[in-house]
Amino acid sequence: MRVLIASCSVTYEGRLGASLPRATRLIMIKADGCLAIHSDGGAYKPLNWMNAPNTIEESRDRIIVRNPKNETLTIDIFEVLTDFSHEMGDDPGLSKDGVEADLQILLAAMPESIEPGLTLIRREYPTAVGPVDLLCRDASGQTVAVEIKRRGEIDGVEQLTRYLDCLHADTALGKVRGIFVAQSIKPQARVLAESRDIGWCEVDYDALRGKRPDELKLF
Amino acid sequence: MKFRVERELLTEALSAAARVASNRNNAMPALSGVHMSVKGDSLVLTCTDNDLSVRSTLSVGGARDGVAVVSAKLISDIVRSMPEEKVTVDAQGDDVMVSAGKSQFTVPTFAATDFPNILVAGTQPVAISAKVFGEALGQVVRASSSDMQRLALTGVLMVAEPNSVCLVATDSYRLAVRELPGATMLGHGAEIVVPGRALSELERMIGAAETMTMALGENRATFEVGGATLTTTLLNVEFPKYRQLISAHYPNKVTTAREPLLEAVRRSRILARETTPVRLEMSSNLIRLSVITQDIGQVVDELDAKLDGSEITVGFNSQYLMDGIDAVKGDEITIESTDPVKPAVLRGVGDKNYLYLVMPQRLTS
Repeated sequence: MRVLIASCSVTYEGRLGASLPRATRLIMIKADGCLAIHSDGGAYKPLNWMNAPNTIEESRDRIIVRNPKNETLTIDIFEVLTDFSHEMGDDPGLSKDGVEADLQILLAAMPESIEPGLTLIRREYPTAVGPVDLLCRDASGQTVAVEIKRRGEIDGVEQLTRYLDCLHADTALGKVRGIFVAQSIKPQARVLAESRDIGWCEVDYDALRGKRPDELKLF
Repeated sequence: MKFRVERELLTEALSAAARVASNRNNAMPALSGVHMSVKGDSLVLTCTDNDLSVRSTLSVGGARDGVAVVSAKLISDIVRSMPEEKVTVDAQGDDVMVSAGKSQFTVPTFAATDFPNILVAGTQPVAISAKVFGEALGQVVRASSSDMQRLALTGVLMVAEPNSVCLVATDSYRLAVRELPGATMLGHGAEIVVPGRALSELERMIGAAETMTMALGENRATFEVGGATLTTTLLNVEFPKYRQLISAHYPNKVTTAREPLLEAVRRSRILARETTPVRLEMSSNLIRLSVITQDIGQVVDELDAKLDGSEITVGFNSQYLMDGIDAVKGDEITIESTDPVKPAVLRGVGDKNYLYLVMPQRLTS
């Protein structure tokens, strides 16, 4: 993330023409190419912005941002007050309970997205240490416990391990194996899962919501 | 500027304005406003986001001529909430007062000079049947996309054919084509792509109107209906080549009553989730419609039908299927198909002017 505080004026040309007169503003140039211009007020929208992908040309007193739709944002810099960059690292994202709940609903409707032949026995299957997200049966008839997380980390594997310990005690279910499911799973969590004979699977939330890459389209 | 008007009349006009006013207004705040101009007993309301502009005229009790620009959403919400039937709007200095009975709101104005001039298409307007055009929009616009990443699909293609004009929209999952025989609003060979959002607004404006006009400029179109004018920029995009998607012959054709099929699909949606297909098993005298949503339940409906061709089972997105059945006119509908993964075509029996092509959804065993 590059943070630039400068006295500048801004001209936007694209779907409409807009300009910001000369003033001191905060310009954020993000690692993915997005650019946002803020004033010293308001916590919602920037004064102007360009979403990635962008091409950014920079000279001593001017930054020109272009996107593929030929929209152009020209920032004329009169005085640079602060200019620094900082490596932000991976974004853990905004935690939203709804996403995990939605994932569980979607995967309950389409357990074959986790593994071909998988069918649902029950959602929120109760155990002594809490409910298992999905209890399923695989193509060979074996019971499968599925733990679903938005981001797959070691804690999730530990949680599934506890469920499996309980489920193994229930002789009515027969032999039970586990699958750890998340939108993305950290390498450490994968290693831990594999070391405990727990399967893992990454799923695409958007694809599950109906934007499946294999869906049929006219063109 | 000061006027007094029926609350319901102003509410209706301001609702349309609030839909058109720009949401992305930080750079040009006036674009989020409605421009109100009073002259005598006539109030002209104008809104624009620079791509789409709507101007409507209302008869009011004018007390003082003048202009004011005020947040469209704000004044729309204020007028709608007023307790009395008559509303007074009075602009003084940098504020606008909206009052009715004992309620009074005061909101700031935007500088009227910041409000952009509205350009309209300059060519001679062509009269068209509002009833027919409005019906066609209702059948076609629903198939356009709202995904701005695929700009061409957000538009409706209007193309001049030898003796008609065709309206076409597609979001890549379905395609709607409506022919307007004898229509002359486009010159020979002309082809334009009009934003679906503008046509959707136009459809609302048309309502029960009988006549309207359309004028085309180099990069914009202007429609006039009743006392309202809608101007939209045209999309400079290449519309997908849609004709190749429509086969001349489909081996399987099932005919059934339209309304019961629509009701059956609507019922099935109680259980269908976004990704759950509606399964249509089409046999010689029956359509068996079913939805199975794991952990939720299942529904089965049966409808009398007549099949020409082979028995076939096809899955559809329930919303897309319902949209198509709803858009088709007539008491009976035909569904023509080739196989479970190729597009199916919905038409009204005896209606040669409209077709709705929909892509199936894969069925798992």
